[in-house]
Amino acid sequence: MLVLSRRSILRFTVCAMLAFAELSHAQSPAETHIKLELISEQATAPPGQPLRVGVLFRLEPGWHIYWQNPGDSGEPPKVQWGLPPGFTAGPIRWPQPIRLGSGSVIDYGYEGQVLLMAPIEGTSRGNATSIPRMSADVKYIVCREVCIPGKAHLMLAAPAGAADWAAWHALFEQTRAQFPKPMPASWKVTAAADKEHFILTMQARPQVSSASFFPLEPSQIENSSAQDFAPTRTGFRLTMEKSEQLTKPIAILRGLIVLGPGRAFEVAAPVVSQ
Amino acid sequence: MKKWLAASAVVGFALIAFSVGWAARVGEAAPDFTATDSNGEVHKLSEYQGKYVVLEWTNRGCPYTQKHYSSGNMQRLQREWTGRGVIWLTVASSAPGKQGYVTASEENAYLKQANAAPTAVLLDPAGTLGHLYDAKTTPDIFIIGPKGVLIYSGAIDDRPSTDVADVNGAKNYVSLALDEATSGKPVSNPTTRPYGCSVKYAD
Repeated sequence: MLVLSRRSILRFTVCAMLAFAELSHAQSPAETHIKLELISEQATAPPGQPLRVGVLFRLEPGWHIYWQNPGDSGEPPKVQWGLPPGFTAGPIRWPQPIRLGSGSVIDYGYEGQVLLMAPIEGTSRGNATSIPRMSADVKYIVCREVCIPGKAHLMLAAPAGAADWAAWHALFEQTRAQFPKPMPASWKVTAAADKEHFILTMQARPQVSSASFFPLEPSQIENSSAQDFAPTRTGFRLTMEKSEQLTKPIAILRGLIVLGPGRAFEVAAPVVSQ
Repeated sequence: MKKWLAASAVVGFALIAFSVGWAARVGEAAPDFTATDSNGEVHKLSEYQGKYVVLEWTNRGCPYTQKHYSSGNMQRLQREWTGRGVIWLTVASSAPGKQGYVTASEENAYLKQANAAPTAVLLDPAGTLGHLYDAKTTPDIFIIGPKGVLIYSGAIDDRPSTDVADVNGAKNYVSLALDEATSGKPVSNPTTRPYGCSVKYAD
């Protein structure tokens, strides 16, 4: 038997009202799967250095957004900065992506959470140490099995206290650890092209047991085709199928060689036709 | 017997396409197919020899597809080109239970409601036609010339977004390719990167 005390009825009513308020708040459908915040790493502006801010995307499990090259479908998020006079924003620094999807359609992007940072340069007039007011207008598409476009107007969030600052700082640190790095000076990369393949040859020590290539430009490699990894005496070779959308020879194959989490390296390999 | 032959031909083509890895390549013969539309009629590509054929992959739940239907752009293209003798086949390759899957009667109701005007909508829930052409997104577009050669493969236009405001002012690759081809010129952008949602194939 169900017995409801007056208090539990009251509680239920309040919950129902809150739920209704939530619904009538007119959230965009995308926002039920993604939360966005504009955050800063610092409480005060470091003199002479870019401000470190970023748009934080928190995604519901199973949902994703896209890398700068989205792969076969989707599109990368776009950020338009609203900055005070005297400030400019640099390009987004994209952390290393993951491969998404299965079968004949493969995308590149992020699940869980991702912070898209951009350096903000400039100086405030007057009180130079305070972080200036700024905003970001973000357009994105968030997908799981289905895709939902969304947009958000974000104001720089004000952290509640030291714990928030610490958490945000950690997020920036983790994000920087996922930035692709320049290739070690001792490595060498070359690329050859035949009719249907690109063959990337890396001189890289110590020996690695696997590697994958993420193309910076769309329509160069067939994203859904397996990449054939073969160790060599001095490193490894990666053979990839050319994209059917590639109609002209390319001079340089650009992208990331990913050896594991936090181990993505920028490569720009001049292509020699065989 | 004829039906069986047609079916095995489709399977045969699919197998060839898969093993070679080149499903449908611009400049080469477009793979022949047999498919059934939302009125139960059977369409065979080779029967349209002598005509231009547009294949438009669709999923009406996909925001990229919606951009072209809610703006009326797709209907306009369908009317314009079918009015000029082009065969326009919309293809629904979403698997049962996935976004964009439609029964014949649902599709016919939608066509009416959206005031769409393709020659026919091919129902491809098994994804056979989709995989044969390696359609990746909705709306992915293929155009086949009167001699059965694939003359265009890729995006509908040059604005890969879900924003309806991007329809006006976009360079429409479908009209561009058909305009050029029908006036005897080479297609200037025969291959582009298709954009949109992934085609919701069976797992």
